[in-house]
This record gives sequence, structure tokens and C-alpha cells, in this order.
Amino acid sequence: MNKEKLLAGLDAGHIHTKAVIMRGGEILGYSTVPTGFDVVAAAITALKDASSNAGVSGGALDGIAATGIFKDVAVEPPLQVIGTVPEYVADAKGAFFLNRNSRTVIDIGGNIHKAISFDRNGDLRDVIQNDKCADGMGIFYTNMARALGVSEKELSELALQSTGDLSLAVQCSLSAESDAIDLLCQGRDITEVAGAISRFIVERVADMCTVMNLTREVVVAGGLAKSPALIKHLASLLKQELIVLDLPEYVGAIGAVMNDGGGE
Amino acid sequence: MSEYASINEELDWKKAERIVAGIDSGAVNSKALILLDGKPYAFSQIRNRTVKESAVKAADALLDKCGMKMENIQYAVATGCGRMQVPFAAQTVTDVVCGAAGAVRIWGPSVRTVLDAGGQSCKVIHCTDKGRATAFLWNDKCAAGIGRSMEVFADLVGKEVTEIGKIALQSDKFPKVSDFCAVYAQSEILDLMRNKVPVEQAITAYHYGMAKRISTLVARAGVKKDFVIIGGLAKNPGITEWVEKLVKVNRLAPKPEWDPTYTTALGAALFAEGFLMRQGAGK
Repeated sequence: MNKEKLLAGLDAGHIHTKAVIMRGGEILGYSTVPTGFDVVAAAITALKDASSNAGVSGGALDGIAATGIFKDVAVEPPLQVIGTVPEYVADAKGAFFLNRNSRTVIDIGGNIHKAISFDRNGDLRDVIQNDKCADGMGIFYTNMARALGVSEKELSELALQSTGDLSLAVQCSLSAESDAIDLLCQGRDITEVAGAISRFIVERVADMCTVMNLTREVVVAGGLAKSPALIKHLASLLKQELIVLDLPEYVGAIGAVMNDGGGE
Repeated sequence: MSEYASINEELDWKKAERIVAGIDSGAVNSKALILLDGKPYAFSQIRNRTVKESAVKAADALLDKCGMKMENIQYAVATGCGRMQVPFAAQTVTDVVCGAAGAVRIWGPSVRTVLDAGGQSCKVIHCTDKGRATAFLWNDKCAAGIGRSMEVFADLVGKEVTEIGKIALQSDKFPKVSDFCAVYAQSEILDLMRNKVPVEQAITAYHYGMAKRISTLVARAGVKKDFVIIGGLAKNPGITEWVEKLVKVNRLAPKPEWDPTYTTALGAALFAEGFLMRQGAGK
């Protein structure tokens, strides 16, 4: 394996572009920027920021491994991409690298959520992804934090205080948003509305998970993994202990490196 | 939390006989305004946290700006989806009725159709020359939240929410995205990005899709001239111009002295004035 090589992992996602800098099995630096409309520009910025976070110059990189929905857009020059990795594979490899006991990773991202199970070598076994109607749970979460006038962190804190069982529409995040607004207009307590928002998201994620066998340990990745309320509600719905990975939003980027020769 | 308050310095509330307030407690913003003897005096707008909190804050911002106290307001009417949550309002009037009343006050008695395109809901209101609402059509649930989705969309394409409406008028050719579901439309925009469609075209595609969604509602309700657009989306040319093209009716131009987001609050204040005068007459 390429113990000496300095590699970058790039995860060009729907909403955010994530970059990590790794050498051998060590994560040296990382950075996230909004993807916006210019995928290549976002990738360049993320890589530059991650490099300076790692304390290395961008020119020192031996190669870039790319994943994420926009990976094929991001491979364009001037980036030196040595390989692209499917998102599922990257998630599996990344989760397996961060937690050797993990066998399933649930990835709740900005626009897509998915679950991937893998074997004891980190090789893919099964994959499930949300249907289109359930797209955008991450966008929904951000949007609802804005609707409530709180930060995303506060939304989670409020949701954790909720003791009731208010619920929102079961299907569509747009209907759910209307329901949440209706609750606010009725003067319902903000913690209960926050709780309902959190439960709505995890119900969609749990729905998806029912069609796949979640082999243990089950770990959680993606930006929404940083919401303790979601994790708590999801664990209780799945009746399953969930472990949040370190750097959950970088799992894909880390996995891309691990798949392309960044192993130990 | 954005906050905004302004005042007409030419008027003095201490000399006014009638001081009334209209509060439009919307799903995204709370709007409040004060009329002095029927003349617009002060405006404020605030972003929600909870509906009640922001209605109170919008009113406080208004009073602060004018150096007034709540007791100085002789009558307050609340409207909007959170109207029941406004603690200091003597009456509530539905936003459909207030929207029509406000629009006729701003644009005059020729107005017959009002499109109220707000943060959460869209509705089409028919009215008489006196501003009395005669019929209305509300969006279905699937078309809710178009106003607010514009902010999310602006983030998605990395632009300011105030500039996307202008950008949406720059492309003649553009791909089509869902004009039924905003969730689908947003996903499809992300697909366009992947296919390297220029950002101007993607922005146009989204505005066209949402305008088409709104115009189906307008077409179903029917448009009688004159036609006006009120609410937050009235300030987005990408929506208004596409709606005009799709329903084939031009709206009356916005009045420079009126921010269209205050139309419904103005209607509420007009009702407050009516209630106050009737109260006085009864004594």
C-alpha cells in the first residue's frame, strides 16, 4: 500500500463539497464548502482549505480520489483526479476505516439518504437509497431551522426537549413543511414542532431501512448525523444502537481515499 | 432574525384623531403597520421564530420607532395564518379579505383579481371596486411554500435570494423541471447542475416551473382585469413576469411608495379603522 503517498479525498455532494487530506491511515486535514453551482470551483476551494488545514501545500498532493454525486464533473482539469469511486463504495470504505466493527452505515446527506451494508473487509454487500419523494432531508432540516428562526444545532436541542408526539405528514417534505407551519400558526410550542420535524426525518430514513437487513454495528454518516435529536429518534425507531462516526460528513471523502490506495 | 421598520416623518401621531394598526402574522414574516387618520404612518417587518413572538416583536419595533405605547393604538386587527396568536388584537380578519381591501386601497377601484403569493401559501382573490372579496381560491398543499423555497433554492445555486428573480429573465432557452412538486423540482435542478447546464438556465427553469404552478391556480380561479400581485413573491420579477406571460394578463405595475408585502397588513389596518369608527358611532 501507499503509505508514503499524500492523498486527497473529494466528496462532491449535492449541497456540500467535502475534502480530506490523508497520508497512510492518518487524516491530516479536512474542509467543507457549499457546492453551489460551480462544482469544480467548490472542489478546488475545498481541497485548498483542507490542504492548509493539514499544513501541506496543494502541490504536494500525490493524487485525488473523488466520490459524490458530482464526482464526474469534478474530475475536470485542473484537478488531478486519480480515480472516481461510487458513493456507496466510498461510504462503506470510509465507515469501515473509521470503525472496524461497523457492518452497516446509514448516510443521511443533504439531498439523499442511503444505507449500505458491507462485510468484514469493508466490501459492499447491500445498498438501499431513498425514493425521489423523500429527497432532500438535509435541505428540509436546514429549511425548517430557518423557518423556526433557530440554528441547526438549536433545532436539535429543541427537539430533544420535546416530550409530546406531534407528527407531520407521512410522505412529502413539502407537506411536512406546511404541517409544521400550521402547528406554529396554531401556537404550538416550538420544542414540540422541532420534535415533530426531527421525527418526520427519521421516519423517512427508518422507512427506507425496513427493506434491508441492518447488520451490526450500525454507524451513521452524513451531515445530519451531527444532530443528536435525529440520532436519538432514529435509534428508538429502529430499536437499534447507533454509533455516530467521527467526522460523519467526511465519511465519503475518507472512503474515496481508502478505496484508491490510501490504506494502511 | 431580520428586522425592518420605517416611518413617515411628515406625520405626527400626537396630532392624529384615529390611530389604528394592522398586523399580518404570516408563516414567514410578521408585518405591522400604523394608519393615522387613514394615512400610512409606520411599517415594520420581522422574521418569525414562533408566530406569537414575532407578531409581538413586529409591533414592538413599530412602537419603538414611533415613540408610542401600545395604549396609543386605538384599535388593532390581526390577520394572516397566525392571527389567533396576536395577543393585542381586538379583532381578527382573514387574510383573504384583508388582501383584497389592501390591494384596492393601493391600486384603486379597478382591481378585480389579486394574486397573493406569500412565503407559505398562494391564493387568488376576486373583489369588488370597494375592495370586498367575493371569491377566492387557495393553493393545494402540494403547492405550498413556494415563497420560502426560493431562499433554499438561492442557497442551492449559490446566489442571493434578491438576485435570482432577475437572473430568471435572462434565458430564452432552458430545460423544463417539475411544475407540480417543488421537492421534485429542486432535485431536478441538482441533476441539471450535474449535466452542466448554465446556472442562468437552471434558475430560469425553477422560476418557470414555480410560476407555472402558480398560474394554474390563477387560471383555475379566472383572471378579471385589473390584475395585481401582492405578497413577498411580488418582489421577484422571475415569478411575476413568468406568471404574467403564462396567464396572458399584465399586472398593474407596483406602486413605488408601497412594498407589496404590506398589502394584507394594510387591509387589516383599514378594517381596524372601520371597526374604530363604528365603535365611535355607537357611543
